[in-house]
Formats: sequence, C-alpha cells, structure tokens
Amino acid sequence: MKKNKYLLLFASLSVLALLTGAAIQENFLKDWRRIQVQGQTDDGPIAVQLRQVVNNNLGVADRCVSCHVSMAPGEQSVRGAPLLVAHKPVVHDPADYGCTVCHGGQGQATEKLDAHGDVHFWPEPMLDKATLYAGCGTCHVALHVPEQSRLQKASLAFERLDCYACHRVDGKGGTLRPDQGGMEGPNLSRVGATAFDSEWYPKHLAKSAAATAGPWKTAFRTIAAEDLPLLGDFLQTRVAASQLVAAKSTFFSSGCLGCHKVSGVGGDAGPDLTKAGFKDPGLVSFEHVPGDGSIKNWMAEHFRAPASVVAGSLMPPAPLSDKEIDQLTFFTLSLRRKDLGDLYLPKDRIRAVKFGEREFATDGATLYGAFCAGCHGRDGQGRRLPGLVSFPSIANPDYLAIAPDALLAKTVELGRPGRRMPGWLKPDGLRAEEMKTVVAYIRTLGATEMEEDPKPARWVTAAPIAGKRIFASACAGCHGPDAKGAEGPALNNPVLLDAATDTFLVETVARGRKGTAMASFLEPSPVRSALTRADIESVVAYLRSLQGGKS
Amino acid sequence: MVPTEEKDALREFAASLKSVPTRVLETAFRTGTPNTDRSRSTFVFGNVFLHLHSVRTHRWSLRWTTTMGLGIMSVSAFLIALVTGVLLMFYYKPYPEAAYQSIKDIHFVVPTGRLIRNLHRWSANIMVIAVILHMARAFYTAAYRRPREYNWLIGIGLLVVTLGLSFTGYLLPWDQLAYWAITIGANIAQSPREVTDALNLTDYFDPGGMQRLLLLGSDQVGAEALIRFHLLHVMILPLAIAALMGVHFWRIRKDGGMVRPADADALLTARPAESVTPVFNEAPVKTYQLAAIVRGRSAAVGRGQENTVPSMPHLFYAELGVLMVTLLACLALSLYSDAPLKELANPSIPENPAKAPWYFLGLQEMVSFSAFMGGVGIPAIVLIGLALIPYLDRETEGTGKWFGGPGGWPLVRFSALLGLGVPIILEAAVIRFGWLREWFPHIPQLIITAINPGTILTLIYALFSMWCIRRYQSTRAGALALFTCFLAGFIVLTIIGTYFRGPNWVFYWSPSDWPKH
Repeated sequence: MKKNKYLLLFASLSVLALLTGAAIQENFLKDWRRIQVQGQTDDGPIAVQLRQVVNNNLGVADRCVSCHVSMAPGEQSVRGAPLLVAHKPVVHDPADYGCTVCHGGQGQATEKLDAHGDVHFWPEPMLDKATLYAGCGTCHVALHVPEQSRLQKASLAFERLDCYACHRVDGKGGTLRPDQGGMEGPNLSRVGATAFDSEWYPKHLAKSAAATAGPWKTAFRTIAAEDLPLLGDFLQTRVAASQLVAAKSTFFSSGCLGCHKVSGVGGDAGPDLTKAGFKDPGLVSFEHVPGDGSIKNWMAEHFRAPASVVAGSLMPPAPLSDKEIDQLTFFTLSLRRKDLGDLYLPKDRIRAVKFGEREFATDGATLYGAFCAGCHGRDGQGRRLPGLVSFPSIANPDYLAIAPDALLAKTVELGRPGRRMPGWLKPDGLRAEEMKTVVAYIRTLGATEMEEDPKPARWVTAAPIAGKRIFASACAGCHGPDAKGAEGPALNNPVLLDAATDTFLVETVARGRKGTAMASFLEPSPVRSALTRADIESVVAYLRSLQGGKS
Repeated sequence: MVPTEEKDALREFAASLKSVPTRVLETAFRTGTPNTDRSRSTFVFGNVFLHLHSVRTHRWSLRWTTTMGLGIMSVSAFLIALVTGVLLMFYYKPYPEAAYQSIKDIHFVVPTGRLIRNLHRWSANIMVIAVILHMARAFYTAAYRRPREYNWLIGIGLLVVTLGLSFTGYLLPWDQLAYWAITIGANIAQSPREVTDALNLTDYFDPGGMQRLLLLGSDQVGAEALIRFHLLHVMILPLAIAALMGVHFWRIRKDGGMVRPADADALLTARPAESVTPVFNEAPVKTYQLAAIVRGRSAAVGRGQENTVPSMPHLFYAELGVLMVTLLACLALSLYSDAPLKELANPSIPENPAKAPWYFLGLQEMVSFSAFMGGVGIPAIVLIGLALIPYLDRETEGTGKWFGGPGGWPLVRFSALLGLGVPIILEAAVIRFGWLREWFPHIPQLIITAINPGTILTLIYALFSMWCIRRYQSTRAGALALFTCFLAGFIVLTIIGTYFRGPNWVFYWSPSDWPKH
C-alpha cells in the first residue's frame, strides 16, 4: 500500500515540475520577454512587460510592439537587439495608428508566427515586402487614375519634359548638384493627395520669363498644349504609392467594374470587391491552385484561369501578362477598405465618398477600360470563350458603320435585360456625361463614322410569316429558336429591337460582321444558300413581330 | 477592580487569537488529526465529500490490478475538464463567428488560455478512453453481477452521457473540423430515414428527420445548433453526469465496495508488516460495525475487519495518486500538442473527408455501409446487449477475477483474435470487391440495410457467442466472447475510419496518398 503513496508523490512532483516548466515558459521564455530583456535606453534597461498600441477609432490593439519595442509610443530610443530599431519616418506614426492597419497580420498575438499570420488558418496574414503598399488601401483610395497607356504616357511626359531636373517624385529626380544647388522644386510625391495649384503652369512661365539665370532660365521650357493634361494626370495620381496607382490603372484597363463593385461603383454580376483584400485563405479552395497556400497565389492563379480555381465561375479569363497579373493581385489585395470614423477618414476617401469624385479618370479610354474591356476586350474586338456566351465585337467597322449613336447609347444605358450586359443607367453605374464619353470613345475604337441613312427608323414592310421560316433555317443555329439567343446574341431583346433602326438590322444581315461568326448573308456559304434582300427584309419583319405591340 | 478584569479579557483574547489556526482546523474536521482508527473513521463519514467512501477499505480493492484506477481516472478527467471548462466559459461566446474568434483569443491572447484549452481537450479524450476501459474492467472482472446489476446500468448511462459531452463540445470552436463533424453526427441521427425512405413512409412518419431537427434546431448546423450544443455541453449534460456519478459512487459503497473474489482473503498474502502498513489502533471504546447495516454479502459482515485498512489515508493516497497521474498525463499531452483549430466554419466548403470525432469513426465506418444499421441499429443492439448482461449472466463463478468464468483467458484470447480478424477480412473483401450496390446497381436499399458488412459482422459475433454458450454451457462464456468481439471490432473499425479513409470515404493506405487538396 506504500506504492500508492509513492504514486501520489511521484505524480504530484511531476505535475509540479511540468507546471513550473509551463510557468517558466510563460513568464520567462516568451519571445517578447527575451527580446525586451536586451533592451536598453540611456537611462538603463527597459521594463519587461507586454506593450501594445491601442487605437479604438481604428479598431486596433496591436501587441507587435512587445517585440518591436522601438516602434512603441515613446520608446524610439530603445536599442540592444537587432529587432530593436525605430520605424523609418512615415506619415502615419505607428505609435498612433498601430501596425496591423497597414501591415496586416494578427495584432493580438504575442508570438512571431502567430503575429505575422504565418500559421495555418489565420485569415489575415501580414503583407509581404512585395505587397506592402497594398496596406494603403485600408484607408486610402487613389483618385482619377487613368487606364494603363494614358498613365504611362503621363509619366513619360513628365520625364520627357525633364520636370525631374528640379522636382523629386517617388524617390526619383531633383538631384543635388555640388555648388549648384539642385532640388529647386518641391517634392511632388504626394501632390495627388494634398492638392496642388492648378495655375502652376502660367506661374512657371512667368517666373521663367522673369529669371535671368539659374534653373528657371536654363531648365524650364514651354510645354506643348497636348502635354499639359498628361502632366495634370500624372500629378493627380502622385499619392506616394506609385505601385498602387500603377496596379489600379491595370485594374481600370481590365474591365473589372463591368461585373464587380468597388465602394459602390460597378456591376452586380460578380462579388463586391470592396474588401476582397481580406479574403480568408482558409475559406477558399486551393484544390486546383499550384504553388503555395497564400491568398496572393490564389488570386494570381484565379486571374490566370478563373473557372478552374473557382468552379462554375463565369468570369472571362483575360489575356494578361505576368506583370499585369501581379498588378491585379496587388490591387485586389489592396482592396481592404475598412469603415472608418470621420476622425481617420483621409481626404481622398472623403472626396470619393462624400463628394462623389471618381477613382478612375473620366476620359473615354479609362471608362471603357474600367467598365467594358473585361467582356468586349481592350480594343473592343469582342471575345468568344468556351463555355461562355460570346461577347460582341463593338468596335467592328461593319457594326459602327450602320449603328446609330442612339443605339449605342441605349445599349450602354439599358444593357440587354436577361443577358450578361448590364444597363449602366443606375446610381452605382455611369453618369450621363460619362455614358456620352464612352459612346464617343467606342466610335473612335473602330475609327468608323456612321454612314448616311436617309431612311426612317422603321421602313421594312415585308410579311413576317416568310421571315419566320427563313429565320428558322438560316439564323436559329446561332441566334437560337425564336431568336432567344444561343451562342450568338439574343435578337428578341426589347432594348435592341427598340433602339435598332430597320436599316441597321437589314444591313447587319446583308453585310455580316467581318472577323466574327456573322457572315454576309447575301453571299452563299457551303452550308446554306444566299438570301435576297427581300428575304432579309422579311426576317427583319419577323424580328419586329417579336417586339410585341410596340413599334 | 476593573483593570484586572480588563487584563484577563485581553489575555484571553490574545490566547484565542493565537489558537485560531488550530481551532479552524478542528472545527473544519471536527475529529481532530486523523491519527487513530476511530478518528480516521469519523474523518471520512463526517466529511460531506468523503462520506461517499466507506470508512474502511478492503486490501483487495487497493491492489493496482483490481481496478487499475480506471474509474477514478474517469472522474479525475471529468474534474479536470470541469475546472478548465469553467475557465474557458469566461472567454467563450456561443455565437457563430464570435465563437471562433473567442477561441482564437483564448488560444493566442488569454494568459495560459492555450494550456487551459489543451487540458480541456485532452482530459475529454482521456475521459472517453478511461470510461470505455473502465467498462471493460467491470465486465472482465464480472463486477456487474449481483448485487451490482443496477450500478452497471448507471455505468452505461454514464458512458452515453460522456460521449454526449464530448460530442457536444466538438461543435463549440465553430471551425471547419467542428462544423463538418457535427454535420456528420446530425446525419447519423437522421439515418432512420434510410428505412422510412425505402418504405415510402418519410412523408408521414419521419423519426430520423425529427431527431436531426431536435439536435440542430434547424435544418442545418447553424446558430441554433451552436446554442443548443453549448447549453447541453455546459449545463444539461454536466448536471446529468454529476447526478449519475453521485449515484454510481454511492451504490459502490452500498453494494459492498469493490468486487472481489469470494476467496480474496485467502488470496491476499499475510498481513503486511506493521512497518509497511502502519495500522493505528486504539482501544475500542465500542465496536464500530457500520458495515453491518449494509445489506447482502458485503465487506465486513460476520468476517471481521482483518483485511481492511482505514480509507483515510490508504484509499485516498490511491485515489489522489490516480488523480495526479491523470492530471500529469493531461498536462504532458497539453504541453506536447495543441488542440486543433482549423479555419472558420464555412457551410459552402465541405471538408472531404468530413470525419466525426474519433470515437464515432467506427460508427461512421458502418454508416458508410448502411446509415440506419451503422448509426442506429447496431449501436442500439450493442447498448441493449450491454444492459442485459447482468440480468442474463446469473452465474457466480469467477466473480472478481480478471477474465473470470468458464472459458477464462483462453476464450477471451481466442475471441479477441476472432473479433479482430473477422472485421479485417470483411473490410478487406469489401474494399477489394465492393458490396451489393456495386454488383447489383438496382438492388432495393432495404436489402442493403439488412445485409451489409456491419450486420454480417454483428451476426458472426452473435453466432460465435451462441456457440460459446453451448460449448461451455455458460452464459458468462457467451458474454465474454461477445463483449471481447465487439470491443475488438470497435477498435478495428475505429482505426480504419481514422487512418485509412480519405476523401469520399475511399480506402487509402496513408493520408499522403490522398489526392492533393
């Protein structure tokens, strides 16, 4: 019976030993304790304690500063370990804003792997070096970003006109010259966020005229009229995050807003992307994603082949370069817009949310790029993708030559109800003047003006009965029985039939659309005989009969 | 006159103050230091927590091989789970999403939260294992026999509640693991539909759907299910198990202590030397025959107390020892391995394979053959069979001895081999050649419900048991065979379900062969 006593003794001592071990681990061996004991200031060693930055307005309680002590409020002078370095000077003081607002990760955790989010199943891992600036998207929106080629032209103009001689932008230019000054102009890296004098050019001219020597005389030249708006675009987009602006520009060139909403602007077909950067890697399937299990990798693969990563996705895969995929991934990661109290709402966000300023530039190319390019292609050439309804080629000269502006405008305004094309005349869509701009831009895409059409909008008088028969044999293969649409567009669509003139319909069948599946029906093909103009008119009469009572 | 009186009162006050610690102890234990047989007895029955024990314990009960401490281990695990569970409740929020976040907080932020949660998880698992082993011990030593029949039934109730506690706790973290395990569990509850569907009765009579609805409070696992499981887990089931445990322990004393062989006194070696087991004796003021009022053939009636020792301290050393060993095991496991927490539950991304908690994987394996038989039919047969054992086996041979009774250890050994072999061969055949559905795609489901590997296994076990009853002319032999077979089958099926079933419940030799997920 003594062995029971010894059992109790042994077990109790072992429990005590393990508990002591656990207590030592908890109280002495934690990473942050081991780092803090090395910390020194001029006044001696620092107190070893859990440190945190709390900001209730931003919803952060970041214990990151328990290890990164020198980034804690008032502790910039702590040294002693490699980790103990102060944050480099930034606009947003980490002692006020916390860490996770910009960097992501798990602020509440107190161990490295957990805090950095490098553990399985933590939904919000830290942004890595390459995507660091995606953190800006938590609060900021860059305004008036033009599509890719215009942004590139703008930055080339700034370089070509040698503005860098005096100005410093994003760490470039404005060099210091020994004995000759340099850095004469202000740093323009953040003028897009802070605002700049719109009268800068006349003032530059005046100063240059008044100057007798120095850079005002030697470095400044007059600027051509067509370059001025480009410089304006360039300056407006300088928000100290050029990577983010470039990525956003790619986003606005890829037509994403056609289906997705960002901060309440865009289509309804796809998921809202306003907080897409917070997508939880634990909640998506990596079954068909090669490479690592990071959300960054998932997004990149998803842009390469949407339907193979997300089963049943209707998102058309875009012909994107690797760089563009990186940029789209980066931009999507930056879509992490938190709902902020007024105190922390930045100027750009206020301008966007409260004054309705657009995040995209409102020129035709950018509007088209942001809303239309995803389906109709960047050049408007249309797209045919396996498994998806074909997207019409709207820049086709055969189309633009016979389509009246009213048809284009109605189509943009009302879309094709029941089909993928949404109507953009809606509060979260395009504004009236933006729609005009887009229609005008579509004309320039095809470089084709509409031909003179002396006829009235409705002039076909043929009998629909014959047309129905012809339609069934010649057209229904692509346009579906009763013109309901199949691989080809639906022709019974009320918006189409309402806005299309008879000339447009007749000429479309007669000419076809070169470069698309729609051939000229005046010419015979190996599988059917040619139609006469009278046949075509009766087909049009048949289509009109589908319109119902309205003419 | 006044000063002297004042002085005396002050002195008295000082003396009282000085004696406070002693007095507190005295008033707490009433009997003074338990250093005589008498004071030890009063120490036990004068204490509300200890009086569930008898004041003297037979030396047979204190041998390690008698019980292996499994009962106390179960209680200890429960107590650890109780204490850690109450601590966890300070931070846990039983609402979807919030639940998951609060577990994250407990894991990462709450001081010692991770250790507490790990202890809770490991003690729960140890409790399930200890309860099953405790039942096996009670069975193999024939402890269920008269007068302990009813305590065996309470034990079965405790087994069910233990599994219920563990199962309801499984959902609370609200991660993918929890969500899909409970979905599987709820589907098992719905399995009577297999039969009602086959009979086209479901529209009128749907006990399966009813069970599932009762369990989940909704047609899928959601907020309603979480609050239900939480309430069951922290309130209803703990109260139920506490009540059952109280009765279980009280009846041990009333039924005459631990079971022991009729010749236990003879089997025990001579009294150990006083130095080994100091027995403090005191001239009896009167004869204490507390045990005399216990009914039946109990510990001390008419047999003297020569082989009993005072429960205080001998029994309590043993009990505390087992408690500390259990705590040690929980602690070591908790420090070694963290309780799992997967991603947030997501009803639109099913886990594949979705697996129930490990102790239900044997059932899940049988459910993969037939939901009704695996989930309801066979478990019901097993539980009813277990409950009937003490009423069918009315023999006396071998009571209190390991594997006692006709057949003995050789029979148990053979049954274990058969119990392990049959399911392995059956599973191998099914995995290799398929079953009726693969051979006759249009076969009615009712036939598969009746004839599937699970029912065939049960049938083989039952026939073997019948044969044993005839061969040994003993119900106990049949029970030994059947119990051993079922235990072995449970182990085989659980291992197959745990380690060898991958996505879509397909057989894989190792998880590394699973298709990339």
